[in-house]
Amino acid sequence: MDDSQQLTPQQLDLLRELGNIGAGNATSALSMMLQDRKLEMVVPEVAILSLPETTTLIGGPEAIVAGIYIAVSGDVDGHMAFLIPEGSAKELVGSMLGEESAKFDEMGCSVLEEVGNIVITSYLNAISEMTGLMIMPSVPGLAIDMAGAIWSSILAGAEILDDFITVIKTDFASEGKQIAGHIMLIPGKAGFGKFFKILLGTDRG
Amino acid sequence: MAEIFVNMGQIEVARADGVLVTVGLGSCVGVAIYDRERMVGGMAHVFLAASKDGKGITQPGKFADTAIPALVEAVMQAGGRRSAFQAKIAGGANLFPKLQAASLNVGRQNVMAVKEHLQLNNVPLRGEDVEGNSGRKMTLYVKDGIVVVQSIGDKPREI
Repeated sequence: MDDSQQLTPQQLDLLRELGNIGAGNATSALSMMLQDRKLEMVVPEVAILSLPETTTLIGGPEAIVAGIYIAVSGDVDGHMAFLIPEGSAKELVGSMLGEESAKFDEMGCSVLEEVGNIVITSYLNAISEMTGLMIMPSVPGLAIDMAGAIWSSILAGAEILDDFITVIKTDFASEGKQIAGHIMLIPGKAGFGKFFKILLGTDRG
Repeated sequence: MAEIFVNMGQIEVARADGVLVTVGLGSCVGVAIYDRERMVGGMAHVFLAASKDGKGITQPGKFADTAIPALVEAVMQAGGRRSAFQAKIAGGANLFPKLQAASLNVGRQNVMAVKEHLQLNNVPLRGEDVEGNSGRKMTLYVKDGIVVVQSIGDKPREI
Protein backbone atom coordinates (compact mmCIF):
# COMPACT_ATOMS: atom_id res chain seq x y z
CA MET A 1 0.00 0.00 0.00
CA ASP A 2 1.25 3.39 -0.88
CA ASP A 3 1.17 6.33 1.53
CA SER A 4 0.47 8.91 -1.14
CA GLN A 5 -2.80 7.21 -2.05
CA GLN A 6 -4.11 7.84 1.42
CA LEU A 7 -3.78 11.61 1.59
CA THR A 8 -6.75 13.23 3.26
CA PRO A 9 -8.50 16.25 1.71
CA GLN A 10 -6.90 18.37 4.42
CA GLN A 11 -3.43 17.08 3.53
CA LEU A 12 -4.06 17.72 -0.15
CA ASP A 13 -5.04 21.30 0.74
CA LEU A 14 -1.81 21.69 2.67
CA LEU A 15 0.25 20.49 -0.29
CA ARG A 16 -1.56 22.93 -2.56
CA GLU A 17 -0.85 25.66 -0.01
CA LEU A 18 2.85 24.76 -0.06
CA GLY A 19 2.73 25.03 -3.84
CA ASN A 20 1.02 28.38 -3.61
CA ILE A 21 3.52 29.88 -1.21
CA GLY A 22 6.53 28.42 -2.98
CA ALA A 23 5.49 29.14 -6.54
CA GLY A 24 4.24 32.61 -5.58
CA ASN A 25 7.70 33.54 -4.38
CA ALA A 26 9.34 31.77 -7.35
CA THR A 27 7.28 33.59 -9.98
CA SER A 28 7.82 36.96 -8.35
CA ALA A 29 11.59 36.29 -8.40
CA LEU A 30 11.34 35.36 -12.07
CA SER A 31 9.23 38.42 -12.81
CA MET A 32 11.87 40.62 -11.19
CA MET A 33 14.62 39.03 -13.29
CA LEU A 34 12.55 39.85 -16.36
CA GLN A 35 12.35 43.57 -15.54
CA ASP A 36 8.98 43.27 -13.82
CA ARG A 37 7.34 41.45 -16.68
CA LYS A 38 3.95 40.32 -15.44
CA LEU A 39 3.61 36.59 -14.82
CA GLU A 40 0.33 34.83 -14.16
CA MET A 41 0.40 31.82 -11.85
CA VAL A 42 -2.21 29.07 -12.09
CA VAL A 43 -3.51 27.53 -8.86
CA PRO A 44 -1.19 24.64 -7.94
CA GLU A 45 -2.34 21.14 -8.73
CA VAL A 46 -1.55 18.15 -6.53
CA ALA A 47 -1.36 15.18 -8.87
CA ILE A 48 -1.16 11.60 -7.65
CA LEU A 49 -0.38 9.57 -10.73
CA SER A 50 1.15 6.33 -11.90
CA LEU A 51 4.56 6.61 -13.56
CA PRO A 52 3.26 6.58 -17.17
CA GLU A 53 0.47 8.99 -16.30
CA THR A 54 2.95 11.60 -15.08
CA THR A 55 4.00 12.34 -18.68
CA THR A 56 0.66 14.17 -19.07
CA LEU A 57 1.96 16.73 -16.53
CA ILE A 58 4.76 17.83 -18.83
CA GLY A 59 2.73 18.23 -22.01
CA GLY A 60 3.74 14.94 -23.63
CA PRO A 61 7.14 13.24 -23.72
CA GLU A 62 8.39 14.39 -27.13
CA ALA A 63 8.21 18.18 -26.77
CA ILE A 64 11.62 19.81 -26.41
CA VAL A 65 12.04 21.60 -23.09
CA ALA A 66 14.73 23.12 -20.93
CA GLY A 67 14.70 21.44 -17.52
CA ILE A 68 16.51 22.57 -14.39
CA TYR A 69 16.68 19.99 -11.64
CA ILE A 70 17.57 20.43 -7.97
CA ALA A 71 17.56 17.77 -5.27
CA VAL A 72 16.30 18.82 -1.85
CA SER A 73 17.74 17.69 1.46
CA GLY A 74 17.84 18.92 5.06
CA ASP A 75 14.83 18.52 7.36
CA VAL A 76 12.79 17.37 4.39
CA ASP A 77 13.73 15.50 1.24
CA GLY A 78 12.39 15.91 -2.24
CA HIS A 79 13.06 16.91 -5.82
CA MET A 80 12.34 20.07 -7.75
CA ALA A 81 12.13 20.72 -11.45
CA PHE A 82 11.64 23.90 -13.46
CA LEU A 83 10.51 22.98 -16.97
CA ILE A 84 10.07 25.45 -19.80
CA PRO A 85 9.26 24.73 -23.45
CA GLU A 86 12.05 25.43 -25.95
CA GLY A 87 10.40 28.59 -27.29
CA SER A 88 9.91 30.03 -23.80
CA ALA A 89 13.48 29.18 -22.88
CA LYS A 90 14.79 31.08 -25.92
CA GLU A 91 12.55 34.04 -25.10
CA LEU A 92 13.78 33.97 -21.53
CA VAL A 93 17.47 33.86 -22.47
CA GLY A 94 16.90 36.56 -25.08
CA SER A 95 15.23 38.92 -22.66
CA MET A 96 17.85 38.31 -19.95
CA LEU A 97 20.71 39.01 -22.35
CA GLY A 98 18.88 41.73 -24.26
CA GLU A 99 19.29 39.87 -27.55
CA GLU A 100 16.80 39.24 -30.29
CA SER A 101 17.80 35.70 -31.16
CA ALA A 102 18.88 33.60 -28.23
CA LYS A 103 20.88 30.41 -28.58
CA PHE A 104 21.51 27.54 -26.22
CA ASP A 105 25.24 28.12 -26.33
CA GLU A 106 27.44 28.21 -23.24
CA MET A 107 26.14 31.66 -22.30
CA GLY A 108 22.51 30.78 -22.96
CA CYS A 109 22.77 27.59 -20.94
CA SER A 110 24.40 29.29 -18.00
CA VAL A 111 21.65 31.93 -17.99
CA LEU A 112 18.97 29.21 -17.99
CA GLU A 113 20.70 27.30 -15.22
CA GLU A 114 21.00 30.39 -13.07
CA VAL A 115 17.39 31.47 -13.67
CA GLY A 116 16.21 27.95 -12.78
CA ASN A 117 18.39 27.99 -9.70
CA ILE A 118 16.90 31.29 -8.50
CA VAL A 119 13.33 30.22 -9.28
CA ILE A 120 13.67 26.92 -7.42
CA THR A 121 15.57 28.31 -4.42
CA SER A 122 12.97 31.10 -4.10
CA TYR A 123 10.29 28.43 -3.98
CA LEU A 124 12.18 26.50 -1.32
CA ASN A 125 13.00 29.61 0.73
CA ALA A 126 9.31 30.51 0.96
CA ILE A 127 8.43 27.02 2.16
CA SER A 128 11.31 27.07 4.60
CA GLU A 129 10.16 30.40 6.06
CA MET A 130 6.58 29.22 6.35
CA THR A 131 7.44 25.96 8.08
CA GLY A 132 10.67 26.78 9.88
CA LEU A 133 12.19 23.68 8.32
CA MET A 134 15.76 23.69 7.09
CA ILE A 135 15.67 22.99 3.36
CA MET A 136 18.91 22.63 1.41
CA PRO A 137 18.99 22.74 -2.39
CA SER A 138 21.66 20.86 -4.36
CA VAL A 139 23.55 22.50 -7.20
CA PRO A 140 21.32 22.84 -10.27
CA GLY A 141 21.50 20.56 -13.28
CA LEU A 142 20.34 21.69 -16.72
CA ALA A 143 19.24 19.62 -19.70
CA ILE A 144 17.66 20.69 -22.98
CA ASP A 145 16.03 17.61 -24.40
CA MET A 146 12.77 15.70 -24.88
CA ALA A 147 10.48 16.43 -21.96
CA GLY A 148 10.00 12.72 -21.30
CA ALA A 149 13.75 12.09 -21.14
CA ILE A 150 14.29 14.89 -18.64
CA TRP A 151 11.27 14.05 -16.52
CA SER A 152 11.95 10.30 -16.36
CA SER A 153 15.62 10.93 -15.54
CA ILE A 154 14.57 13.13 -12.60
CA LEU A 155 12.11 10.53 -11.32
CA ALA A 156 14.61 7.71 -11.78
CA GLY A 157 17.31 9.71 -9.99
CA ALA A 158 14.77 10.18 -7.19
CA GLU A 159 14.54 6.35 -7.06
CA ILE A 160 10.76 6.43 -6.98
CA LEU A 161 9.67 2.83 -6.56
CA ASP A 162 6.06 3.37 -5.52
CA ASP A 163 3.18 2.73 -7.90
CA PHE A 164 1.93 6.28 -7.44
CA ILE A 165 3.89 9.51 -7.48
CA THR A 166 2.75 12.75 -5.84
CA VAL A 167 3.67 15.91 -7.72
CA ILE A 168 2.82 19.48 -6.75
CA LYS A 169 2.74 21.31 -10.06
CA THR A 170 2.32 25.03 -10.63
CA ASP A 171 2.04 26.54 -14.09
CA PHE A 172 2.88 30.12 -14.91
CA ALA A 173 2.83 32.25 -18.05
CA SER A 174 3.65 35.80 -19.08
CA GLU A 175 0.79 37.98 -20.33
CA GLY A 176 1.29 37.18 -23.99
CA LYS A 177 2.30 33.58 -23.17
CA GLN A 178 5.76 34.14 -24.71
CA ILE A 179 7.22 32.71 -21.54
CA ALA A 180 5.45 29.80 -19.85
CA GLY A 181 6.47 26.83 -17.81
CA HIS A 182 5.95 24.47 -14.90
CA ILE A 183 7.45 24.32 -11.44
CA MET A 184 7.27 20.84 -9.92
CA LEU A 185 7.88 19.67 -6.38
CA ILE A 186 8.08 15.96 -5.72
CA PRO A 187 8.11 15.54 -1.93
CA GLY A 188 10.18 12.63 -0.63
CA LYS A 189 8.89 10.13 1.89
CA ALA A 190 10.38 11.90 4.91
CA GLY A 191 9.24 15.24 3.53
CA PHE A 192 5.54 14.46 3.67
CA GLY A 193 5.40 13.56 7.32
CA LYS A 194 7.34 16.60 8.49
CA PHE A 195 5.33 19.04 6.41
CA PHE A 196 2.05 17.70 7.72
CA LYS A 197 3.20 17.59 11.32
CA ILE A 198 4.30 21.20 11.30
CA LEU A 199 1.49 22.60 9.20
CA LEU A 200 -1.31 20.73 10.93
CA GLY A 201 0.18 21.55 14.31
CA THR A 202 -0.02 25.27 13.53
CA ASP A 203 -3.13 27.18 14.39
CA ARG A 204 -4.26 28.26 10.97
CA GLY A 205 -7.38 30.11 12.11
CA MET B 1 0.89 0.51 -40.31
CA ALA B 2 -0.11 0.51 -36.66
CA GLU B 3 2.16 2.53 -34.40
CA ILE B 4 1.95 1.52 -30.77
CA PHE B 5 3.32 3.90 -28.17
CA VAL B 6 5.18 2.44 -25.19
CA ASN B 7 5.06 4.70 -22.14
CA MET B 8 7.41 4.70 -19.12
CA GLY B 9 7.33 1.40 -17.28
CA GLN B 10 5.11 -0.28 -19.84
CA ILE B 11 5.39 -3.31 -22.15
CA GLU B 12 3.66 -3.60 -25.54
CA VAL B 13 3.74 -6.18 -28.34
CA ALA B 14 2.97 -6.02 -32.06
CA ARG B 15 2.86 -8.33 -35.08
CA ALA B 16 3.54 -8.15 -38.82
CA ASP B 17 3.87 -4.55 -40.00
CA GLY B 18 3.36 -3.23 -36.47
CA VAL B 19 5.67 -0.51 -35.20
CA LEU B 20 6.54 0.01 -31.54
CA VAL B 21 7.72 3.46 -30.47
CA THR B 22 9.00 4.88 -27.22
CA VAL B 23 9.79 8.55 -26.83
CA GLY B 24 11.79 10.38 -24.23
CA LEU B 25 14.24 7.73 -23.09
CA GLY B 26 16.56 9.51 -20.68
CA SER B 27 18.17 7.30 -18.09
CA CYS B 28 15.48 4.74 -18.96
CA VAL B 29 16.35 1.90 -21.33
CA GLY B 30 14.13 0.80 -24.21
CA VAL B 31 14.32 -2.95 -24.82
CA ALA B 32 13.12 -4.53 -28.05
CA ILE B 33 12.76 -8.32 -28.30
CA TYR B 34 11.57 -9.89 -31.55
CA ASP B 35 11.25 -13.09 -33.57
CA ARG B 36 12.00 -12.04 -37.14
CA GLU B 37 10.65 -15.12 -38.89
CA ARG B 38 7.35 -15.07 -37.07
CA MET B 39 7.26 -11.27 -37.37
CA VAL B 40 6.36 -10.60 -33.78
CA GLY B 41 8.05 -8.29 -31.32
CA GLY B 42 7.70 -6.41 -28.07
CA MET B 43 9.14 -3.39 -26.36
CA ALA B 44 9.67 -2.40 -22.72
CA HIS B 45 10.52 1.05 -21.35
CA VAL B 46 12.61 0.20 -18.28
CA PHE B 47 12.77 2.86 -15.56
CA LEU B 48 15.13 1.43 -12.92
CA ALA B 49 17.45 -1.55 -12.55
CA ALA B 50 15.69 -3.44 -9.79
CA SER B 51 12.58 -3.47 -7.68
CA LYS B 52 13.09 -3.27 -3.92
CA ASP B 53 11.07 -4.37 -0.90
CA GLY B 54 8.54 -6.13 -3.13
CA LYS B 55 7.50 -2.85 -4.70
CA GLY B 56 6.64 -2.61 -8.36
CA ILE B 57 5.05 -6.03 -8.69
CA THR B 58 1.97 -4.39 -10.17
CA GLN B 59 4.07 -2.74 -12.90
CA PRO B 60 6.70 -5.30 -13.97
CA GLY B 61 7.76 -3.13 -16.93
CA LYS B 62 9.31 -0.55 -14.60
CA PHE B 63 12.30 -2.59 -13.47
CA ALA B 64 14.90 -4.48 -15.50
CA ASP B 65 14.73 -7.57 -13.28
CA THR B 66 10.97 -7.94 -13.76
CA ALA B 67 10.59 -6.33 -17.20
CA ILE B 68 12.82 -8.71 -19.18
CA PRO B 69 11.05 -11.93 -18.12
CA ALA B 70 7.66 -10.22 -18.59
CA LEU B 71 8.65 -8.99 -22.06
CA VAL B 72 9.90 -12.47 -23.06
CA GLU B 73 6.60 -13.93 -21.86
CA ALA B 74 4.52 -11.29 -23.66
CA VAL B 75 6.27 -11.88 -27.02
CA MET B 76 5.86 -15.65 -26.58
CA GLN B 77 2.14 -15.15 -25.87
CA ALA B 78 1.94 -13.18 -29.11
CA GLY B 79 3.36 -16.17 -31.02
CA GLY B 80 7.12 -15.69 -30.81
CA ARG B 81 9.54 -18.56 -30.24
CA ARG B 82 11.93 -18.14 -27.37
CA SER B 83 14.78 -19.80 -29.26
CA ALA B 84 14.48 -17.26 -32.08
CA PHE B 85 14.45 -14.17 -29.90
CA GLN B 86 16.88 -11.34 -30.50
CA ALA B 87 17.18 -8.07 -28.60
CA LYS B 88 18.20 -4.48 -29.26
CA ILE B 89 18.45 -1.79 -26.62
CA ALA B 90 18.69 2.01 -26.49
CA GLY B 91 18.85 4.67 -23.76
CA GLY B 92 20.60 4.78 -20.42
CA ALA B 93 21.80 8.37 -20.86
CA ASN B 94 22.93 10.67 -18.08
CA LEU B 95 21.13 13.98 -18.69
CA PHE B 96 22.55 15.69 -15.61
CA PRO B 97 26.24 14.75 -15.68
CA LYS B 98 27.05 17.54 -13.22
CA LEU B 99 24.85 15.93 -10.58
CA GLN B 100 25.61 12.26 -11.04
CA ALA B 101 29.07 10.78 -11.26
CA ALA B 102 29.53 8.61 -14.33
CA SER B 103 30.24 5.51 -12.24
CA LEU B 104 26.99 5.59 -10.29
CA ASN B 105 24.58 7.12 -12.75
CA VAL B 106 21.14 5.58 -13.10
CA GLY B 107 21.39 5.26 -16.87
CA ARG B 108 24.51 3.11 -16.79
CA GLN B 109 23.06 0.98 -13.99
CA ASN B 110 19.93 0.43 -16.09
CA VAL B 111 21.97 -0.61 -19.13
CA MET B 112 24.01 -3.06 -17.06
CA ALA B 113 20.91 -4.55 -15.44
CA VAL B 114 19.09 -4.91 -18.78
CA LYS B 115 22.10 -6.68 -20.32
CA GLU B 116 22.42 -8.97 -17.32
CA HIS B 117 18.75 -9.98 -17.46
CA LEU B 118 18.80 -10.49 -21.24
CA GLN B 119 21.69 -12.88 -20.68
CA LEU B 120 19.92 -14.64 -17.81
CA ASN B 121 16.94 -15.13 -20.12
CA ASN B 122 19.15 -16.33 -23.00
CA VAL B 123 18.19 -13.55 -25.39
CA PRO B 124 21.15 -12.50 -27.58
CA LEU B 125 21.80 -8.76 -27.84
CA ARG B 126 22.07 -7.77 -31.52
CA GLY B 127 22.40 -4.01 -31.26
CA GLU B 128 22.67 -1.14 -28.84
CA ASP B 129 22.79 2.64 -28.71
CA VAL B 130 23.34 3.51 -25.06
CA GLU B 131 24.71 6.00 -22.48
CA GLY B 132 25.93 9.46 -23.48
CA ASN B 133 24.11 12.64 -22.36
CA SER B 134 21.13 12.86 -24.74
CA GLY B 135 17.57 11.62 -24.65
CA ARG B 136 16.39 9.20 -27.34
CA LYS B 137 13.38 8.11 -29.33
CA MET B 138 13.37 4.40 -30.22
CA THR B 139 11.32 2.69 -32.93
CA LEU B 140 11.06 -1.08 -33.59
CA TYR B 141 9.82 -2.22 -37.00
CA VAL B 142 8.57 -5.65 -35.99
CA LYS B 143 8.52 -7.07 -39.55
CA ASP B 144 12.29 -7.01 -39.95
CA GLY B 145 13.63 -6.35 -36.45
CA ILE B 146 15.04 -2.98 -37.43
CA VAL B 147 15.43 -0.49 -34.62
CA VAL B 148 15.86 3.21 -35.33
CA VAL B 149 17.17 5.55 -32.62
CA GLN B 150 17.07 9.33 -32.73
CA SER B 151 18.30 12.10 -30.43
CA ILE B 152 17.43 15.79 -30.72
CA GLY B 153 19.40 17.50 -33.47
CA ASP B 154 20.86 14.18 -34.69
CA LYS B 155 20.17 12.01 -37.70
CA PRO B 156 18.26 8.76 -37.02
CA ARG B 157 20.59 5.80 -36.43
CA GLU B 158 19.73 2.24 -37.35
CA ILE B 159 20.86 -0.49 -34.97
